[in-house]
Amino acid sequence: MTQWVLEGLRAGIRTTRYPFAPETAAGVSPGLPAAGELARPDLERLIARCPTAALASADGRLVVDARRCVHCFRCVRGSDTPAPWQGGYEWATGEGTLGKTFTRSLHIRVVDAGDCGACLHEVKQLAGPYYSLHRLGFFISPTPRQADVLLVVGPGTDQMREALTKAYKAMPTPRTVIAVGTCALSGGVFGSNFACGGGISSILPVDVEVPGNPPPPLAILHALLLATGRAAPAAKERQTAGERMP
Amino acid sequence: MIAMAWTGAFFALCALGMLLAPFVPQRRNPLLVAIAGALASACLCVAGAYALLSGRTVDTTLGLSPLGSTIRFSLDPLSGVFVLITGIVFLATSVFSAGYLQRYLDHYSLKVFTVLYFGLLAAIAAVLLASDVLSFLVAWELMSIGCYLLVNFEHRRDENIRAGYLMLAMGEAGTLAAAVALLLLANAAGSLGFEAIRMNGTRLADGLRWTVFVLSVAGFGVKAGLVPVNSWLPRAHPAAPANVSALLSGVILNLGIYGIVRVNLDLVPPRLAGPGIVLLLVGAISAFLGILYAVTANDMKTLLAHSSIENMGIATTALGAGVVFATTGHQALAAIALVAAFYQLANHSVYKALLFFGAGTVDAYAGTRDLDHLGGLIHRMPWTALFFLIGSLSIAAIYPFSGFSSEWLTLQALLRSAELSSNLVKTAFAFAGVALALTAALAVTCFVKAFAMGFLGMPRSPAAEEAREAPRSMLAPMGALAALCVLLGILPTFVIPALGGALKSVGGASAAHTLVPPFFSHGRPSALPAKFIADFHDLGAQVGQDIVPGRGLVVLHRGGADNPVVFAMATSYGFVVLILLLGGTAFVVRRLTAARRVMREEQWDGGVHQLLPEMTYTATGFSNPVRVIFDAILRPRTVEDTQETVAQHFRVAIVRTREHPHLVDRLVLDVLTAWMAGAAGLLARMHHGKLNAYVAYVLGTLVLFLGIAALR
Amino acid sequence: MEIPVQRHAQCSRRSLHFEIDCQPQRLVQVCSALSRAGFGFAGLIVEEWQRQWWLRYAFHSLSGSGGKILRRTLAEPPEPADFAPLCSSADWIDVLIRQPLTRTSYPSISSEVLAADWHEREAEDLFELTFEGHPRLGDFVLHDVAWQEGLAPMRKDFNAHTPPSERRPNPAWRPQRIVHEPGSFLMPIGPIYGGVSESVHFTLETVGEDVIRALPRLFYKYRAVEKIAEGRAAPDLLLLAERFNGIAAFAHGLACAQAIETVAGVEPPARALTLRVMLAELERLRHHTGTIHDICESTALTVAASQAAILEEELLRLSGSLTGHRYLFGLLMPGGLSRDFEQHSLADAVRAVQDIARRLTQLERHLVTTSSFLDRLEEVGIVTPALARTYGLVGPVARASGLACDLRRAQPYAAYDAYTFDIPQEQDGDGYARLRVLFAEARQASRILGQAVNMLPDGPVCVACPDIPPGAALGWSEAPVGATFHWIHADEQGRVSRYHIMSPSFANWHGFHLAAEKFAFQDFPIILATFGLSAAETDR
Repeated sequence: MTQWVLEGLRAGIRTTRYPFAPETAAGVSPGLPAAGELARPDLERLIARCPTAALASADGRLVVDARRCVHCFRCVRGSDTPAPWQGGYEWATGEGTLGKTFTRSLHIRVVDAGDCGACLHEVKQLAGPYYSLHRLGFFISPTPRQADVLLVVGPGTDQMREALTKAYKAMPTPRTVIAVGTCALSGGVFGSNFACGGGISSILPVDVEVPGNPPPPLAILHALLLATGRAAPAAKERQTAGERMP
Repeated sequence: MIAMAWTGAFFALCALGMLLAPFVPQRRNPLLVAIAGALASACLCVAGAYALLSGRTVDTTLGLSPLGSTIRFSLDPLSGVFVLITGIVFLATSVFSAGYLQRYLDHYSLKVFTVLYFGLLAAIAAVLLASDVLSFLVAWELMSIGCYLLVNFEHRRDENIRAGYLMLAMGEAGTLAAAVALLLLANAAGSLGFEAIRMNGTRLADGLRWTVFVLSVAGFGVKAGLVPVNSWLPRAHPAAPANVSALLSGVILNLGIYGIVRVNLDLVPPRLAGPGIVLLLVGAISAFLGILYAVTANDMKTLLAHSSIENMGIATTALGAGVVFATTGHQALAAIALVAAFYQLANHSVYKALLFFGAGTVDAYAGTRDLDHLGGLIHRMPWTALFFLIGSLSIAAIYPFSGFSSEWLTLQALLRSAELSSNLVKTAFAFAGVALALTAALAVTCFVKAFAMGFLGMPRSPAAEEAREAPRSMLAPMGALAALCVLLGILPTFVIPALGGALKSVGGASAAHTLVPPFFSHGRPSALPAKFIADFHDLGAQVGQDIVPGRGLVVLHRGGADNPVVFAMATSYGFVVLILLLGGTAFVVRRLTAARRVMREEQWDGGVHQLLPEMTYTATGFSNPVRVIFDAILRPRTVEDTQETVAQHFRVAIVRTREHPHLVDRLVLDVLTAWMAGAAGLLARMHHGKLNAYVAYVLGTLVLFLGIAALR
Repeated sequence: MEIPVQRHAQCSRRSLHFEIDCQPQRLVQVCSALSRAGFGFAGLIVEEWQRQWWLRYAFHSLSGSGGKILRRTLAEPPEPADFAPLCSSADWIDVLIRQPLTRTSYPSISSEVLAADWHEREAEDLFELTFEGHPRLGDFVLHDVAWQEGLAPMRKDFNAHTPPSERRPNPAWRPQRIVHEPGSFLMPIGPIYGGVSESVHFTLETVGEDVIRALPRLFYKYRAVEKIAEGRAAPDLLLLAERFNGIAAFAHGLACAQAIETVAGVEPPARALTLRVMLAELERLRHHTGTIHDICESTALTVAASQAAILEEELLRLSGSLTGHRYLFGLLMPGGLSRDFEQHSLADAVRAVQDIARRLTQLERHLVTTSSFLDRLEEVGIVTPALARTYGLVGPVARASGLACDLRRAQPYAAYDAYTFDIPQEQDGDGYARLRVLFAEARQASRILGQAVNMLPDGPVCVACPDIPPGAALGWSEAPVGATFHWIHADEQGRVSRYHIMSPSFANWHGFHLAAEKFAFQDFPIILATFGLSAAETDR
């Protein structure tokens, strides 16, 4: 058993400094397309390339509905004039309604409502040494009975509707619903069909939304901080000064 | 003489009941049982209480027996304890029967029941009062037969007949052994009277003492359900009507212990430590095996039957400890251990009668006793549930209910084995202590199972779903016994001195002064020796001496001059504190959460569509960990383990049945049965029906006798 | 390092695909003969095509050669005596039944080919076809407590976007009980259970302590992927293929892209093929690390779980920084890849992978000397080789039970035939064997990456893939959990008419109860973790 103690010590501290300092390591986030000025033909071509209507034009500018982006990269790859792209991970919008009591201690019940596994996997990473959500007072709860936050991933399938509603009802008030991932926000590639609701807002009232397909762990962490009033929501429109994606 | 008058009234009322029964219509018979039975038992209670509290012995000579000996009844404090307990159980049972017997109307003759019932009551009382060997044995035999007939009341069911037969066979073998023991004593004393035997008791040789001890424990042990002569008990209880079960466990098992105590402590004052050790070990093993099989049983009455073996085991352990202490010169400790034993018997009678009433009520109003098919009864039978819960908490020795006081005293008495000198004896005590500790833990498991699986959760069968509450006439005796459970639990300071009185005739010393400090029983503390008070200073007992009313503290000390306090309990004061704590907490919580809105939602089930009754733990499932842990003792036997498949691969049924034959059945009963069958087979060979062979037998016998005559 | 001959560029090999037209009455005989001949059952593909039911029972040989596909059609199945030559020459054999739409009842092959059990149940539930002789139909994909029986969402006349106005769920539905033992009861687990877990429901029949029968209830996450795929163009289909099971996105995308390319008759450039291998192996390594993490966590060995989590996150970051997406989304496209990589970043990535693989091996060394950990895995959750074969298990689970089936070797695709690697195999079939296989495969993944980066051809990473012509093809790949097959049938407009995913988790969930039964409750989460199953992959 001593080997594990040594092994644990030898690994050192890996945990991100976020939210106290921005995380700059490579590969922590896929980024999102950003709004920007583009020539009209290019703009229309780009909008046509987007399979989920995440891109649109407003007054000749490219605007991005992050809630719909599925990271297909069609607007940046294989396109002559790529869309502006921006890294970062503070994407969550909405507001925390829990009040001050829960700022430093929040229990989260994660519910999979038809997720492809990626969002769920990113939530799992949060508990790992790199993100260690426990250091911020966030805990994954095995039961909704003791949970303050219902963190829902997946588009909300018809056959999970009952279980999801039951889980929400089982929670004590005040309670917050965080919808994680493009599928949970807009249905993503699955859209809305007879088996799948096109986002969980058709089932539950959503307080905080995290875009991304899947949102990186830091984006989910940002959403939790937002829900407890410890972070500001994402800006309405991301700035154009994005990096270029290959 | 007052006590004897009340006893006379009891017998008269019993006789009246027996005489009236045939002339009262069937449906009125339960009422007769209730009224005449209640009156009779009330008389018995008064007689017992009088004998116990007055501490005097009353004798009556009833006449001469055909054998020429005098028939004597006597009521001493030792009988008084048992008479009082018996009276209480009789009283509750008689009232309970009024409602319970209704289920047999139109099926079985209630007139017969009434006659047998009063006959049994009278026989039991006679056993306790008999003061000579002959009347004792006659009463004992009447009691055995009456008990057999009542257990077999539902005589149209085959399994009942088998159970009753085993009970009768084992009981008669036991009676035989006990009779031999008593006759050996009478022979040594030259008289059938207990008085004479008692006078002669101290002069007996060790060999005879051992013989009498072994025979009496084996004989009376059958009735007490001690291992290894317990096989009849778990079979008889499920067969018997619930009110008879209550009598069986609440009274008749006690008679077994009474017999052991009467012979080995009263008639033959103990001198050897050996019998004590034997009792200690037999008790510990009985307690452990009893509770182990109780945990695994699913029939409520079988479960209670096994638990009776456990309780008798605990009492026997304490008894054994008492004998060892008494024979090694620790009179005070002996008194404590014996008080613990009697306390245990009293508690057991009360809560086991209560629990059997509960099981009977459930059986009658929920349609089954199988815990696997019950559940959720608390919603439909709230009062039964409450009383059964109190009974369960008592038997599981949970403070502040009755079992706690007696089991705690027993365990503490066992711990005092440190005072003993022999390491071998200490080891025996340690073994008994460990067995009892394990027993106590399993008892909690067992009665959590009995209550939770029966009354909580969801009903697991249509019958349980349609259960309804019992009538008041059945709830009232349960309620009274439940109240008694609480009283026996929180007032040991009153019970112990009363029981202590009964021990004067057997233990020699009284535990009252050893256990209950005279602070509260003997007026002002200023009347006590200063040294005595100083001994208790550290415990803080004197803090409450002027303000705390009544007796509330049980303190055990070694006795003698130094009084080093080794343990204390304050169940009465603790009860007050408990009530205040619970009430206070409830008050505070309510105040703090007054502003909050209460949401009521269904229980969290993981999001399944519907939580079904079959998705809840069954009694078997609940006790399965115990089964797995004690696999080596339980040795389950797989009766069937098959899979049924269709279309080559698709399983449609997995059928598994397992049996848990009792350890004693496997090791003793089955072996004995096999021997008997073998012997019978040998004898049967002589009966081959050939005439010339029979002639040869006659001739052979004649030659044999002639030979014997010639030798003389 | 041995550098094998780069054979795939020559394309001299031929992969022989047989399609046997079969009458329903001979179906069971033919399928069981193929199964006995050692062919693996890939799946049952039901199609409503040109006013006919097409039931395609796809079988693959376990020793194919890969290469260019050569199709042969047999008008009727050969006589039993002629099966042997057919089986020895064919790489793929599709047994095809074509019947008018009015015929909705077909013989069930499940009693002979048990692996077809769930495939038939799915077809029954989604197409309302009856499989005579199948003892357990109904309530499978569509739960009876949510939908009525008789709903056939996969039929062409069902519109996925206007759900049926009337819903008549069956409230009296009960989980089936088969254990008859006094005191037996059902232990329901899920669909919402544990800490962070996929939505699956388990019904465990038990009398306490030991699981007598385990019955997973899936499809809580049924998103009708195959239905909404219909009518899509090929690139949009790929979006679905990648995103229905995100943690094995590349493997499924690859199978789908290869199916599209086969229909379109497009051969991706050599560089793309090699890069596909590299990315698939990167994903396998990450996936296995994740499964190892789950196993450590299920045994409550926290430090080891954290170590595995560190490696997993590093692999995710590596994927993110190399490809732009942590789960390799958006990389595949019909005809190749959507982007190229610079040689130095690939080399750096492979070095990082090799470092991670080395640390993974170190973790394994520590784990196999931790007796408390091994106690929980050894001789727990045993699947015997015979049962693994009968149930048609795939992937690391099958390989831990002594089956050497790996599509990378059995039916080589992309550039796999160019590399030297081992197919790790264990015989014990217990949890520990599965763990050893996972570690060994992770090492092999790093080994393949090391070879690939050194022999990466130059050139484009993509060729233009025109609109796909009408036609159908099966694409396959060895996903981290096991063999996956994607069937695509395109209509005249180049739109998808039928898309069917036969996933490895689907096959392994079918046999999961083999491992879970007869073991104690507390072993259940561990056994579950060693299977590394995905509900998303099964439910689709």
